[in-house]
Amino acid sequence: MNEVPVTAGIRPVADDPFARDLVKNALATIADEMALTVARTARSFVVKEALDFSTALFDGKGELIAQGTCLPFHLGAMPFAVAAVMKEFGDRIGPGDLFITNDPYDGSTHLPDIVLVKPIHAAGVRVGFAAALAHMTDIGGRIPGGNASDSTEIYQEGLRIPPSRIHRAGVPDENLFRLIERNVRVPDKVLGDIRSLIAACGQGERGILELVARHGAERFDALCRDLLDYTERFTRAEIARLPKGTWNFVDHLDNDGISPEPIRFEVTLTIAADEVTIDFTGTAPQVKGAINCVYPFTLSTALACVRSMVDLSIPNNAGYFRPIKVIAPEGTIVNPRAPAAVAARGITGIRIADTIFGALAQAVPDRIPACGANAPDVGVSFGGYGPDGRSHVFLEFLVGSWGGGPWRDGMDACTGTLVNYSNTPAEMIEAELPIAVERYALVPDTGGAGKWRGGLSLDRHLRFKLDGATLQIRSDRRDHPPYGLEGGESGAPAWVDIRRADGRVDTFPQKFLTTVDAGDVLRVRLAGGGGHGDPMLRDPERVLADVREGKVTAGHARASYAVEIAGNPPAIDWPATAARRASRVTTTGA
Amino acid sequence: MGYRLGIDIGGTFTDLVFLAPDGQVLTSKVLSTPDDYSRGIAEGLAAVFAAGQARADAVDQVVHGTTVATNAILEGKGARVGLLTTEGFRDVLEIRRLRMPVLYDINWQKPKPLVDRARRQEVAERIDAEGRVERALDRDGAAAAIDALLAEGVEAIAICLLNAYASGAHEEELAALVAARAPGVPVCISSALLPEIKEYERSSTTVVNAYIMPVVSRYLRLLTSGLHGLGVTAPLRVMQSSGGAMGVEAASTRPIHLIESGPAAGVVGAAELSRRLGGRPLIAFDMGGTTAKAALVSDGRFDRVGSLEVGGGINIAGRLLNGGGYHVRAPAIDIAEVGAGGGSLIRIDGGGGVRVGPESAGAMPGPACYGRGGTQPTVTDANVVLGFVNPAYLAGGSIPIDAELSRRALAEHVAGPLGLDLEAAAWGVHRVANATMARALRAVSTERGRDPRDFSVLAFGGNGPIHAAALAASLDVRRILIPPVPGLFSALGMLFPDTEHHYVRTFKHGLDQLDPAQLEAAFGLLEADGAKALAEDGYAPAAMRFERMADLRYLGENSELTLPLRADGPARDVLRVDFDAVHETTYGYHSADEVVEIVNLRVVARGLSSGPRVPDGLSVSAALGSRAPEGRRAVHFGPDHGTLEAEVVGRRAIGAAWEPGPLLIEEYDSTTVVPPGARVRRILWDVLEIELADPRGA
Repeated sequence: MNEVPVTAGIRPVADDPFARDLVKNALATIADEMALTVARTARSFVVKEALDFSTALFDGKGELIAQGTCLPFHLGAMPFAVAAVMKEFGDRIGPGDLFITNDPYDGSTHLPDIVLVKPIHAAGVRVGFAAALAHMTDIGGRIPGGNASDSTEIYQEGLRIPPSRIHRAGVPDENLFRLIERNVRVPDKVLGDIRSLIAACGQGERGILELVARHGAERFDALCRDLLDYTERFTRAEIARLPKGTWNFVDHLDNDGISPEPIRFEVTLTIAADEVTIDFTGTAPQVKGAINCVYPFTLSTALACVRSMVDLSIPNNAGYFRPIKVIAPEGTIVNPRAPAAVAARGITGIRIADTIFGALAQAVPDRIPACGANAPDVGVSFGGYGPDGRSHVFLEFLVGSWGGGPWRDGMDACTGTLVNYSNTPAEMIEAELPIAVERYALVPDTGGAGKWRGGLSLDRHLRFKLDGATLQIRSDRRDHPPYGLEGGESGAPAWVDIRRADGRVDTFPQKFLTTVDAGDVLRVRLAGGGGHGDPMLRDPERVLADVREGKVTAGHARASYAVEIAGNPPAIDWPATAARRASRVTTTGA
Repeated sequence: MGYRLGIDIGGTFTDLVFLAPDGQVLTSKVLSTPDDYSRGIAEGLAAVFAAGQARADAVDQVVHGTTVATNAILEGKGARVGLLTTEGFRDVLEIRRLRMPVLYDINWQKPKPLVDRARRQEVAERIDAEGRVERALDRDGAAAAIDALLAEGVEAIAICLLNAYASGAHEEELAALVAARAPGVPVCISSALLPEIKEYERSSTTVVNAYIMPVVSRYLRLLTSGLHGLGVTAPLRVMQSSGGAMGVEAASTRPIHLIESGPAAGVVGAAELSRRLGGRPLIAFDMGGTTAKAALVSDGRFDRVGSLEVGGGINIAGRLLNGGGYHVRAPAIDIAEVGAGGGSLIRIDGGGGVRVGPESAGAMPGPACYGRGGTQPTVTDANVVLGFVNPAYLAGGSIPIDAELSRRALAEHVAGPLGLDLEAAAWGVHRVANATMARALRAVSTERGRDPRDFSVLAFGGNGPIHAAALAASLDVRRILIPPVPGLFSALGMLFPDTEHHYVRTFKHGLDQLDPAQLEAAFGLLEADGAKALAEDGYAPAAMRFERMADLRYLGENSELTLPLRADGPARDVLRVDFDAVHETTYGYHSADEVVEIVNLRVVARGLSSGPRVPDGLSVSAALGSRAPEGRRAVHFGPDHGTLEAEVVGRRAIGAAWEPGPLLIEEYDSTTVVPPGARVRRILWDVLEIELADPRGA
């Protein structure tokens, strides 16, 4: 049936052109139902409040046929887990089996991400796989939280589980469960999360079996193949609408936390006919610190970025991946060799995305905003023991604001398109942990100036109530703040320090590990979003509105926008503004 | 014994339903008057009274479903609100939970906060998670903050301080300061409205309440006086999102409970029907012009959720992704909604797939067959082509249609591009629409750990009875019920709600260390609130009932399960047993060795109705012009059955004995499709019951 000629881009399926849509709908629903199970039953903050998990369904051959509405960063990463299991176990995969891996070099993308893979059999024949992945609160290793950026080998990063069989024919392997239990700091949370993933896989299995019962195994398989072909066609049609050409962009991470050198990211984007190629040649070699990003994560990041450029209703499956090519030279930070440490690769994924969007902004300048701080550049890991000997682990990733433009200001405080992170309510933190939240607020004057202002920085201040606790911070965007576009300025840089209980303020590099005592206050300031367009072209009324809301001060309005605002209530001094702008505008192109 | 009156307002029509003591139901549909909805109601009622069809002074119960609260938010017509909050937390309302309701969308715009930054002021104070004062309220600073809000011209003040769920002391102190400095400015404090943990959710809810309070109270005043003017002296009650009703006083001070007032009524009607049918489990399925909604009812009860969002649009994945609208933490019937209805537009996407909605042709131009300039085919056009819908007119003759326009639109935009004949294309559209709507049904069943096959589908709304059979079949559901006046069923639901007040309080305690006296005291506080509100509604203590519930979870879990608290044992024991059991049914596992934690306590305070019992012999006499159905027509039932001649009859032509399909039962406001192989009969309340032949049918 693959031989049917393509007519006007549309190829009817042999006997029922609508069955594919029904299967598409059903698969998406099952994957979302799996995700809901994880979201509701997971124990850890990272999973439950940050939605750092994903669910997916595969056909019998291991091709992705649906992904749950979860973390965009994971789009395209899940197939590697299924491939790793198939490679390791081959024809020894049987009904009732369940597999686990967290090995970034063999199916996962860093150790905290545990993936469960469940083969699905109907009448002894494999008809699919269900898989679910979640970021665990802890995975053992040197530092609580499993996210340390200062490890230099994967062996320091925690428990590494190669693709392993955790259920055989429906019977759990107690040894493996005990091994995990003994190697993590918060076994109840980790095992709870694993149980939640297992429940999700079971739900995926039931859903697929229902579809197979309805359609028959063979027809279900044919419908899945048709769904992938349809998705590929749809994606190609969308890519074909983009301008053709080659564009290049460079951005940086400040450093890897070990050496002070900036790390270069280079992307060459080529859009030709109905295909996209993203080439990382020119990107820095792999680094000593734990921010190396394994290829599956680089690939999934690239896929997620391109996803924003095409019709949002394209289903998430392997058909979407086909017209998108990602070149990541081996031995670079975007495709490291083992045993490079990779725990904090999330920050690298963010910079990969920032660089890709920088290239896309040249291809489609009317669609892409300036760089934001709307992905979790800053990670906070806290761990300590209470007076009662109870262990407390807290992990959060902080998300700020969007870059401005090309037709609106950057959204203040909103997650970006790569992670759909939520924040943790201060009241939940205070009720459950020895931490008080002292401040969570927007910071005036921190959005990159532009015709369209970048979103503001966010401050987050945490006061600790334990002595001798370990605090590990992974931050960036201090030396290389989020870029502006089309003449817009960069957003304000990020900053992190600690005000000790005695009032002294300690400063640190972007990535550090320290000990905190009761009364110490961690003060995180996220970067601001970049501006878009010449600030001199910003409507003074918009500047005034920002001043009225306290998002921009009168001084900043004058310095960055040449808008003179005075009085109470504040008002624009039009003549003074006109004069100021006239003297500034000569240096800028429109 | 007098009349019950239900009033349901929609964007276009206002539905009035009278239930007479003898079980006669009288319905009337009048045009809504959006400038002042109470005017349309008064005019509609006046007409009914003038015609002598009911007597104003014989009405002894009035329940109203209103969109006034929701519209005020959607149209930005609420009060100018100021917000007082704890130092360091001025931006909680704007930061929200950060999350986007759609993935990958670089064009999504987050809603503007209802209170902009200039009208949000901080006060220095601090209460900890245990409710202890860490830092006293800075009264001078607070006075300055209040003055700054007044200088901004605020019309109402919301107060939400950090950890106020644990102690409202500082909020109350602030409220007193506001009252002293600005008497007459309405104040909402979070610890009184919603003493529940999570600062953003509580702030947003408090702000929304303050925002709509003046609009809602004014509207209810006008409506009350309008009713009095007509001689209706029965107390007005308003439908809540939770499925209960509340008096005007409570509704005016806590209008957040009215957000989903209208949709709740249909489910309340379904619950009443479920009770009449011996507790039969139902999926209430309401399909209108632009959306389809589903809710689950069993044993005459429905599930509730703890919060909803206003103005977020419709999102199929809405249960995972949120943040699209204004968050309101108030109990609401668990209703899932998808953007598919009769007016949903059909198009072919870039990959050659058929897409139904969520864009809608709306009332103007409407489906192509309306002949008002619409050329894109809609779901209704497909149903016209299939023969499900009368090819000459809708709504009992009041809307003429042109079936040729449906055929043309479908041929040009669907059948042609796909290389299919017209019937196959129309049948495909019908199925894809069903698949979209099936997501709503699954959202309330399989997502909740329930098997839809254990339920009957109760289909209503103008389009529900057309799609019910094929939709049910796609979920392997065998039984379908079509209530009388399916298009007005929501208004019918207004006849049944109890008066209810819902209260919640965070009470974070491990079950293993639960102190019964402390638990009793906490419930006592909530019940005292309930008793006070019921007394205001005119209920004597003997007519008050209190239902105790608790939100429980395994320590560290994300969301809680709400369980009723049985009285037949120590709370810690019965809650433990019940929680493990419910967790097992909902999530497929339980964990006996883990700590169970209470997060919130809830009380539903119910007023027992002294009004007339609803008779079993309900029968509907539409006071509406309706053409008698006639003859037979050709109907396409898909590749298995092809095109068949189906008899077109009225509801009364169906008796207590089963009649075989194919049949079309045509009424004023809908058409019920009984496919070949299925059978139909008329049961209690004039409900049509359809039984599908093959549970594995396509």
